[in-house]
Amino acid sequence: MDSTIEIMMILLLLSDMALLGLSRLRTCISIVSFQGMLLGLLALVTQLGSLTPRLIMIAAASFIIKGFVFPILLRRGIREAGTQHEIEPFVGYITSVIAGLAMLGVSLWLGTKLPLFAAGSGTSLIVPAALTTLFTGLFLIIARKNALNQCLGYIIMENGIYTFGIVSVVEIPLLVELGILLDVFVAVFVMGIAIYHINREFDHLDSDRLNVLKG
Amino acid sequence: MNYEIVLWSLISIPAISGLICIFAPSPKFALGIMCAGVFSAALLGLLAIEAVLLQGKILFAAADWLFMDALSAYNLFVMIIVFCLSSLYACIYFHEELLHNNLTLKQLRQFTSLWCGALAAMTLVLLSNNLGIMWVGIEATTLITAFLICIHVSRKSLEAMWKYILICSVGVAFAFMGTLLAAASAKGVGWGSYNALLWTTLRTNAISLNPMLIKAAFIFLLVGYGTKAGLAPLHSWLPDAHSQAPAPVSAIFSGFMLNAALYCIMRYVPIVETATGNTGWGLQFLVGFGIFSIVIAAAFIIFQKDVKRLLAYHSIEHLGIIALGFGLGGLGTFAALFHTFNHSLCKTLSFFAAGRLGQIFGGHDMENMSGSLPVSPVWGIGIFCSLLALIGIAPFSLFMSEFQLIKAAVDSQAWIVLSLFLLGAGIVFVGALGHAIPLAWGTNQKSYTPVTATYFEAFLVFAPLAVLLVLGLWMPKTFFTALNSAANIIGIVGSVAPSGVGR
Repeated sequence: MDSTIEIMMILLLLSDMALLGLSRLRTCISIVSFQGMLLGLLALVTQLGSLTPRLIMIAAASFIIKGFVFPILLRRGIREAGTQHEIEPFVGYITSVIAGLAMLGVSLWLGTKLPLFAAGSGTSLIVPAALTTLFTGLFLIIARKNALNQCLGYIIMENGIYTFGIVSVVEIPLLVELGILLDVFVAVFVMGIAIYHINREFDHLDSDRLNVLKG
Repeated sequence: MNYEIVLWSLISIPAISGLICIFAPSPKFALGIMCAGVFSAALLGLLAIEAVLLQGKILFAAADWLFMDALSAYNLFVMIIVFCLSSLYACIYFHEELLHNNLTLKQLRQFTSLWCGALAAMTLVLLSNNLGIMWVGIEATTLITAFLICIHVSRKSLEAMWKYILICSVGVAFAFMGTLLAAASAKGVGWGSYNALLWTTLRTNAISLNPMLIKAAFIFLLVGYGTKAGLAPLHSWLPDAHSQAPAPVSAIFSGFMLNAALYCIMRYVPIVETATGNTGWGLQFLVGFGIFSIVIAAAFIIFQKDVKRLLAYHSIEHLGIIALGFGLGGLGTFAALFHTFNHSLCKTLSFFAAGRLGQIFGGHDMENMSGSLPVSPVWGIGIFCSLLALIGIAPFSLFMSEFQLIKAAVDSQAWIVLSLFLLGAGIVFVGALGHAIPLAWGTNQKSYTPVTATYFEAFLVFAPLAVLLVLGLWMPKTFFTALNSAANIIGIVGSVAPSGVGR
């Protein structure tokens, strides 16, 4: 079981690196959708011995919302805006991947610092992978200009936190967990509406050109 | 009396009236339902607050997931005042916009329903005993209020809204990470899933939490909720959102939403302090953020041209002062809570005046608004006096709370902090006075015909000013006791009453 989790974490890390290095928005959305499904499964795999209806419900909800609903919303955003690529991001793609590796290094170091798991339990990759995903999302929000890409960054960041939540705190009450999922869902939805309005009003989605308000 | 139902209806009444507002057939109906919802929730709220603050009960509901102790009751009291005044003001403000055809029924429906939703979400934050639900409430306020900023869709308001939603969502996501870490710190203790996130449980058993994890949690929580509270350097969304939102919305943003985020940090402070052995480890960060906010805001206040941006930077300064007070502890906690009330009331009034003057002068540029006192005596007095109160002129109660804060700083011999605070406050004093005097008496290029104000408008200006003045000179005994019991929840280390008391 531990090796399955390990493989999933490696897939998560690889998808982070891919997200940092790719410019085509459609591909990025597919990868984020893959991450979402992966995390839905992760919730089940970590608790394989003691599956409860509660757990299956949470896993299914996040599998569907992150794996299917978000991508549909975002793809619609692309269609409306007519943008396919990020044009001239603040930080280039190769530099982004190098930054991603640096973030992985920091996360590995932090993972040894936080006393979340007893030594030798074999799941030492989870905390670093969760933190790397969190940092990747944050990095994308800062380093990309396109509003859609920033929205993607937010989802990735949330994925990182979700990973962290599954493994470090298994026992969050159902209602809280559903509330959180609902909040994230509405957040992406609201961002989608905002993107729609921005696109209509400005004819572009470059957030660095939203710069009238200063000081 | 069944307080369980009272706590439930505090959240559900505004939520239901928000839903009704979506289908409002006319502007009058929408505003009427909104006011009815806000005021009936307020009345029930006062009932519960009376039981908590005057009779010393702690109320619980929903199997301990909702609760009200002195701290939440005090904050709820501040919120009720801000929301009631702002709802009345919103009627005046939007009536004016309707007269000039600046507002459609659809926009008003959107406003009233989101307004009631925001009230429900903020009440949820204050009443939740479960720290996860508290986070859900804060995130909900972000999402609900985002569309309140762009009731009037324009390039500027969209820009402000995008910055607000992105920065605050990311910030609040950090706070969620902190909440998870706080729950993880309780993992070794062996409570069930039910108790791991309950504030009352964590508070009573704080000593057995993992100190390393709770420290990491507090850093994340401080950054996360600090972003929402507008503490520098995490404040970049705040001036934009405050300046672009309609005036009633700016009033609740500044008057209460920032405090709600700070309230969440305050809930964690006693837990973190006890878990780390009462060394003041967590408090030093609050002092740091507080001082930095005061100094940054002071630097920006001098150069402001837009009156609502000026007030937004004042918010950053005052939230910094409140955080500083909490960080100093002891008398500082008391001063910070007192300052919360003073600032909320005063800032609500100043945004009212700024919004109304903006309607009269057709914009918020201070140069175009100069000489406002002869044009609109009531609102001119409102903006001038509230600016004076905000910079801490003597008889107003903001002076008193700042004075207590200085005393707290002297008591704890924090000389560097004290001198930085005085420097910041001094710059703000000079800078804001330089804006306020031309705003009231300056000569205006264009000539405006004087605008008469109704008695109702005069009430909205002079009632808050009178309260601020009276509280500056004399504090009623009940208010003092209430403040003290709220301060004790954050300040003194010990156990809270076991769950179930006061049912």
